[in-house]
Amino acid sequence: MTPTRRRLLQGAAAIWGATTFGAVTSRSARAARGPRKFLFLFASGGWDATPLDPKFGADGVSAVQGTDMDPQTSLGQVGNLSWSSGPDRPAMDRYFSRWNKATALCRGVNVHSAGHEAGMRWMMTGTSASSYADWPTTLAAFAGEDYPMPHVVFSGPAYAGTEGAALVRGGGGTLLELIDGSIVGRVDEPAPVAVSPVDTMADALVYERAAAFADQQSGLGRTRAEDLLATLDRTMELEGRRFEAGLGDTGSGFLDQCVMATEIMRLGLSRCAMVGIPGGWDTHGGNQNVGAQMDDFFTDLDALMTHLASTPGRDAAWLIDEVVIVATSELGRTPKFNGAMGRDHWPYTSMLLAGSGIQGDTVCGATDEGFIAYPVDLATGQVRDGGTTLGTEHIGTALLTLGGLDSEKHLPGVEPLRGVLR
Amino acid sequence: MILLLLSCATDAEPALVALGNREQLIRLSVDLRGVHPSEEELLAIEADLDLYDQYVDRYLADPRFLDRVEEILNTRMLTRDGRTYFDPGQAGLVVSDADVADSVGDEPLKLARHIVDNDLPWSELVLADYTMADPVLAAMWDLEHEGEGWATARYRDGRPHAGVLTMTTTWLRYPSAGVNANRHRANAVSRILLCDDYLARPVSFERSQIDAITTGDPEQVIADTPTCQSCHSSLDPLAAHFFGFWWDTEDAGLDEGTLYRPEDENLWRDHADREPGFYGHPTADIQDLAGMIAEDPRFADCAVETFFEGLTQRRTTDADWEELALHRNAFSESNQHVKTLVRSIVLSPEYRARSTSDPELAERLVPVKTLGPHQLESVVEDITGYRWSFDGRGISDNAEGLAVLAGGIDSRDVVEGSHDPSVGLLSIQERLAWSAAHHVVGHDLDPARTEDAILLRYVTHETRPPDEAFEAQIRSLYVDVTGLPLAEEAREPALMAQLWTEVHTVNGDPDEAWATVLSVVLRDPHLLFY
Repeated sequence: MTPTRRRLLQGAAAIWGATTFGAVTSRSARAARGPRKFLFLFASGGWDATPLDPKFGADGVSAVQGTDMDPQTSLGQVGNLSWSSGPDRPAMDRYFSRWNKATALCRGVNVHSAGHEAGMRWMMTGTSASSYADWPTTLAAFAGEDYPMPHVVFSGPAYAGTEGAALVRGGGGTLLELIDGSIVGRVDEPAPVAVSPVDTMADALVYERAAAFADQQSGLGRTRAEDLLATLDRTMELEGRRFEAGLGDTGSGFLDQCVMATEIMRLGLSRCAMVGIPGGWDTHGGNQNVGAQMDDFFTDLDALMTHLASTPGRDAAWLIDEVVIVATSELGRTPKFNGAMGRDHWPYTSMLLAGSGIQGDTVCGATDEGFIAYPVDLATGQVRDGGTTLGTEHIGTALLTLGGLDSEKHLPGVEPLRGVLR
Repeated sequence: MILLLLSCATDAEPALVALGNREQLIRLSVDLRGVHPSEEELLAIEADLDLYDQYVDRYLADPRFLDRVEEILNTRMLTRDGRTYFDPGQAGLVVSDADVADSVGDEPLKLARHIVDNDLPWSELVLADYTMADPVLAAMWDLEHEGEGWATARYRDGRPHAGVLTMTTTWLRYPSAGVNANRHRANAVSRILLCDDYLARPVSFERSQIDAITTGDPEQVIADTPTCQSCHSSLDPLAAHFFGFWWDTEDAGLDEGTLYRPEDENLWRDHADREPGFYGHPTADIQDLAGMIAEDPRFADCAVETFFEGLTQRRTTDADWEELALHRNAFSESNQHVKTLVRSIVLSPEYRARSTSDPELAERLVPVKTLGPHQLESVVEDITGYRWSFDGRGISDNAEGLAVLAGGIDSRDVVEGSHDPSVGLLSIQERLAWSAAHHVVGHDLDPARTEDAILLRYVTHETRPPDEAFEAQIRSLYVDVTGLPLAEEAREPALMAQLWTEVHTVNGDPDEAWATVLSVVLRDPHLLFY
């Protein structure tokens, strides 16, 4: 087991005599990290769902009445998965040809709104209520284990709910500089960077004061104070392991951030991460750019999957066996083009899930030619008369289930989409 | 000293246990001014808690309270999002984008400041027949404005003035997509001013209704479908007021994208075709709408909710109704005087409580509050004289994304703050403490110093533990930094002596030893929590 910062602190404290370390129960008794990790990729703006839910005639090329497909596109298909293939998006062909066995598509996902803010909240939490943490925060906060950075948001949405201590927002360069302390050399009035063992001795005293503070609290105050202790522990461990992580050696692009996210998962530093998918997805006009944006995204997704499949995992042979990829957006877009060759907001969208525990080569849910969802059997994900309209809540609770949580405790009364799980 | 406060229960057990006198004043000062009280004030309150009322009035009169008003309103308006919308060069300005973004984002927030500063009723937020501007904003939005700072101003493009309802910043922040016909804006008005978010209502449609929207005229289907009308019957008439601001900002120039167009006021006929109105009452124009909003009881309720949540760090629930009603009465009886409202909140036993024995209330009461990014910056600066900045911009400016990392918002991607201690917040506190400590040590231990010491008043380069001066200095540091003296039997002086000695042994530099000691004190939980 990797020595933790907390042990170093305890050692330092022991040297200095009796302290209150033992008085407070830490959540940081670290065990081998077994649960699946989750990487969320989010296209802010509401992506055009038709590339992942194409509507063509029987010949795979001709148009249908209810939906306008992008010019020069045709049906792409491998196994059960299909997409809109075109010269502006060859990476989609490449991705599905390589990774169809590890990938599932969810179609006709109801986000219950045609507004960005509400759709985003629905997509990420399965509710419209503000008190709920989003899926990755919940997965990280209730992992049953402790991570220094439970859920890191490199970019994209974040809903802390009541689990803000599990959420590390604004991840990326600044966070890394904070962790390694180098930021103090870059401010307008710089200071020398702290070095161990000075840092360790200071941390031990801070921890002792925090423990004493926690002892004085009750109710929600006690909860917050214990969160402080747990977070201090996480922060100190991060500082101690920064070199191990190799953080700071990667760039700031989408693929760089994705790889960094999976690296911190591999090192047991985080369970979840969120990375925003670059691009202008709110295409009320000029939808013709979507093909190129999809091409960029699938190029990086292909590279990410290659990285996962070729990198040894922490608890499994390969990272791809322990990391779940969830690519989504807060809205879909209208099936027909508007006057500006754009698409407006639409409450049904498509999602892509891949990796550990996902039933590959599977499509759950479906829409008709007018891009309206058919009801589905949540146990199989297949269309069924009298079934349920697939919603964000069903997929989110499926992810909680995949993560080993009892979804009923977090979103009672919602049946998970088990059809997408292996 | 722990005082028992009012109990709403009749039994002998107190429902609420108050903070100690010092802690009450620290909470009040941090909430209203963003800094700790002076030691003189803390000594006074320690001797006489009855002075609390006087300090409330003193702090409400402090200009820093107006900064807090802006910050609290921004949690609803979300206009401080760092956007400029247009190249400032189009307005003949040679200033940084960040400076323009500051001015643009502050237009509605400075009106709130003006209202509170001049003891005007909160309804002025929608009734003001002027806007607010500084020279940068005046140039950007082409406003009549005088002076160097923020002042009242007027648009020159002939638009009616109705506070935040007619500000260019408001409608750039909340644009309307063509087919959405200002409904996004109408919902923003409802959410911000009435605390009623249409988009928070779950939408549930029959399949046949969706089919009808797809195959037919969407506006006609909305008009004919009861499910749609549950929202649109009030939303669409509200949206009809804003067509004078019907800008297509995509690729538009500054004038085209900001000037009011009276000729477009009736474009609602071409869209939802619902006459302007406010919940069933026809309106003549946007100023008429403003009057109705101001008189809507939900407007006052929303103000109470906004300030209550801003000051208590918790979301209101139905269970808070009794508490909110007290503040609502005070607010209404004072003709929507914000300082009276805030006074009511900070004088309440709940606000001053350390804990409660009421299990139901214990689920909601936040007895330990966390410094937000603005407060962390200002509290540390007030104590140490040091401001952590990057090219002049600090944590509260969200420089380097620090405000978001510390649990704040950027008003765009992150619109809800978090008050839980996160890795980001603690890392910032740690590095800020380190930097500030070096600033203080560099100043205070400078043999050539002529000014008063900032914090290290008892020691010099030559002071070593266990000198008496060392312990006096440690005790003084805790008072200066946390506002709370150490107990007589406290181990901190001895532990700090060990730390000082260890660091000094490692590098032989007393400055570094003092900086380490001070940084530990600045990371104290009694500073982060209040």
